[in-house]
Amino acid sequence: MSPFRDTPIKQKLLAIMMVTTIAALLLSGAGIVIADSIFFRGYMERDLVTLAQIIGDNTTASLAFDEPKSARETLAALKARPHLITACIYRADGSMLARYLRPGANSGCPLPSAGEQVQFTGGNVLLSHPIILSGRRVGTLVLLYDRSEVIKRIELYGTTVLGVLLVSSLVVFLLSSRLRAIIVTPVSQLADIAASVSQSKDYSIRARKISNDELGILVDAFNEMLAGIQSRDNNLKRALLEREEALRETQDTRESLETTLASIGDAVISTDVGGRVVFANPVAHTMLRCREIVGKNLDEVLQILNELTRAKVESPVSKVLREGAIVELGNHTVLVAQDGTEVPIDDSGAPIRGKGGRILGTVLVFRDVTARRAAEATGKLLASIVESSHDAIVGISLHGLITSWNRGAEHIFGFAAGESIGKAASLIAVPDRMDDMPVILARIGNGESIAQYQTVRRTKSGKIIDVSITLSPLHDALGRITGASMIARDISEQVRSVERLAQLNADLQRSNENLKRSNEDLERFAFVASHDLQEPLRMISVYSQLLLKAHSGEFDRQAQMYVDNIVGSTKRMRELLADLLAYAEIGARVDEPLEAVDLNAVVEKVLQNLQASIDETDALITVDRLPTLCAFHGHFIPLFQNLIGNSIKYRSERPPCIDISFEKSASQLRFAVVDNGIGIAPEYHQKIFGAFKRLHGKDIEGTGIGLAICQRVVERYGGRIWVESKAGQGSKFIFTLPQEMLQ
Amino acid sequence: MIERTDAGKIRILVIEDNPGDVELIRMALELAGVDCDLQVIDEGEGAMAYVQRPRNSAGEQVPDLVLLDLNLPKHSGLEILEAIRGNQAFASVPVTVLSSSSSRRDRAKIEDFKVAMYITKPPDLEEFLKIGPTLKDLLANSKATAR
Repeated sequence: MSPFRDTPIKQKLLAIMMVTTIAALLLSGAGIVIADSIFFRGYMERDLVTLAQIIGDNTTASLAFDEPKSARETLAALKARPHLITACIYRADGSMLARYLRPGANSGCPLPSAGEQVQFTGGNVLLSHPIILSGRRVGTLVLLYDRSEVIKRIELYGTTVLGVLLVSSLVVFLLSSRLRAIIVTPVSQLADIAASVSQSKDYSIRARKISNDELGILVDAFNEMLAGIQSRDNNLKRALLEREEALRETQDTRESLETTLASIGDAVISTDVGGRVVFANPVAHTMLRCREIVGKNLDEVLQILNELTRAKVESPVSKVLREGAIVELGNHTVLVAQDGTEVPIDDSGAPIRGKGGRILGTVLVFRDVTARRAAEATGKLLASIVESSHDAIVGISLHGLITSWNRGAEHIFGFAAGESIGKAASLIAVPDRMDDMPVILARIGNGESIAQYQTVRRTKSGKIIDVSITLSPLHDALGRITGASMIARDISEQVRSVERLAQLNADLQRSNENLKRSNEDLERFAFVASHDLQEPLRMISVYSQLLLKAHSGEFDRQAQMYVDNIVGSTKRMRELLADLLAYAEIGARVDEPLEAVDLNAVVEKVLQNLQASIDETDALITVDRLPTLCAFHGHFIPLFQNLIGNSIKYRSERPPCIDISFEKSASQLRFAVVDNGIGIAPEYHQKIFGAFKRLHGKDIEGTGIGLAICQRVVERYGGRIWVESKAGQGSKFIFTLPQEMLQ
Repeated sequence: MIERTDAGKIRILVIEDNPGDVELIRMALELAGVDCDLQVIDEGEGAMAYVQRPRNSAGEQVPDLVLLDLNLPKHSGLEILEAIRGNQAFASVPVTVLSSSSSRRDRAKIEDFKVAMYITKPPDLEEFLKIGPTLKDLLANSKATAR
């Protein structure tokens, strides 16, 4: 059976049909042959018996008369029966009366039996028939019949059946080849689909239904099954995806929680119920200055003190375990790290509960609040600065509403904080003026600052004041602009001052110009006057001398004295005019080109000019190597001549010692003329540089303009001149000139 | 005494508006022994007319020396100096500038014009009288050069 089981269905179907057909035909054929052979034996028996009666009846007479001839004649009629081998008629005594033997046959005559008997022996049938006459048995007929007729008949039937079988088989084969497709095609299609589904796992494939028979039902069932599988498969896939997603989420959450704990800015420590640390994040390690926390008892590593009382604060773990709720440490707690450093902290503890609410441990979170405290302190400080500022500091929302209002604002604008906060900023706007607030707030909204913007505002009493306003955007913690801070300063007084100042400035400038003009006028006047006065003075001088010279003999004493006075005064006036002219001339020549002035040559020339008095007083004069300057030659002779001349003129009892020194510093040239003369009391140090100011009477001659000329020369070049001296201790005249003057 | 080779005295033109100075110059020359005719012009216009007048005939003489005050009414000494230098007839006439100003500015102004001397009028009698010998020397030199 086994190999047959694996053969394809179409071959199986063919085989089944063939076998069935052949079996049916064989059975029916065999049945027919068997029945026929049974019926034919009976018929043959009955036929032989009938034949035997007929012959018996026909030979009765022969027997009775013992006429063998007639008996033989009767028997000869049996020639019509080809299958009768022999026939013998026995007399009652058992002797043979007559016999028939089929031509060609070779057989003895079987012995008769006692009664009527049909006996099938081998291929023959033996019949023994008593011949009865008048109730008395007169003889016996024996017939030996050949049964080959039966065999022939069976052979004929068998051949027929075989032929029918062959033809039927052929027809069945051909028909079944055609007809099996009805069954095989849907089945193999189904098989193909099943194979492709199982291969591709694509449960959306469906078999096509061709008929409504069992195969149709099978296809439906198969499709239904596929649909079921598909739906289950989809569910399974979805469930799988969901599970994966959930798993990933869990993973992510876990990672994120781990990262969070590791990177959180606060210190996090969790303990079991015994207070043993089971987890500590990096910040906790850092804050406790301790490398190994996990596994230790929290009380060993975490010491918290009250900052003010220095008392130990109860361990947050025991507090949490006792209260079973979230607890916070009080204020002013400091953490004492392992190395003894103290950090102000803010701390909270919470129980960790497992399923069913059982407490499994505690988690502590604490943070360093140094910065926050500093920020709070800064915040308070800033708030108090804002509050105590004399400027108005006002918070304004982007919608233009006042959000804060300091004391300065109350003072400047007259509105109390309660009256202004929540109101529009136009509260202090000047009614008839265009409100600039929306424009300003729009600019603030763009992140702009507006500095030192001068405008006018109105106070509660309606007074219009000048204010200088600085507006800056205010940002929230996320850097978004939430409004503006407006710092306003009442500058009414300032504005008035500025106006006054401008007025004063204008006045000053005017009077400066006047002064300058009158100075220039005065200089021109001094120049012209001294110049023009010289002419008549010269005449007076020369002619008074001429008068003396030509007519002195004619004068009496008094006339002589008059003329002497004229001559003396004229000389003095000439000197005054010469100095005045020199003084006036210093301011002139502004547009002439400068020349190289070798100060060594200047001083040499000066010493020549002063030679007479130097000789007369035995003065010792030492001079440093002096620089060459870019200047006017004519200015430096009077400068040095006046200084050196003064040193000689105002000498003490000793012979004058005069030193002229020079030094160059980074920015200026510094000259000093030092003497050992009578010195100058400090109160006169300024005064002596004024024109025509003299400390001495006529005992020492001079015009009082020498130092004024010196000062004017030095200042003309941007330098400075002063004196360092005490009465009786000599003088040191110092003057500086800008370094740029160096040739 | 200066010898005159040709007829007449030495002719000195004094352009000076101050009679006091004219008198002092006369005195100085006299004391120095300069025998001369002083022709005095005391205002700018006249001086200008005099120096600009063409001198065609040989008989019309130019002075031997011009003493010029720079500070004159109507025309400044500088303008007159310019006119003198513009007149060929005065080409060989020495000009001495007498000024009351010793300022460099005034000196600088006349630098372009060839003047024989620049004398600041001294406020002292003795100094003033020294002008006489100075001018005498100048005249002598001028004659020597001319000859």
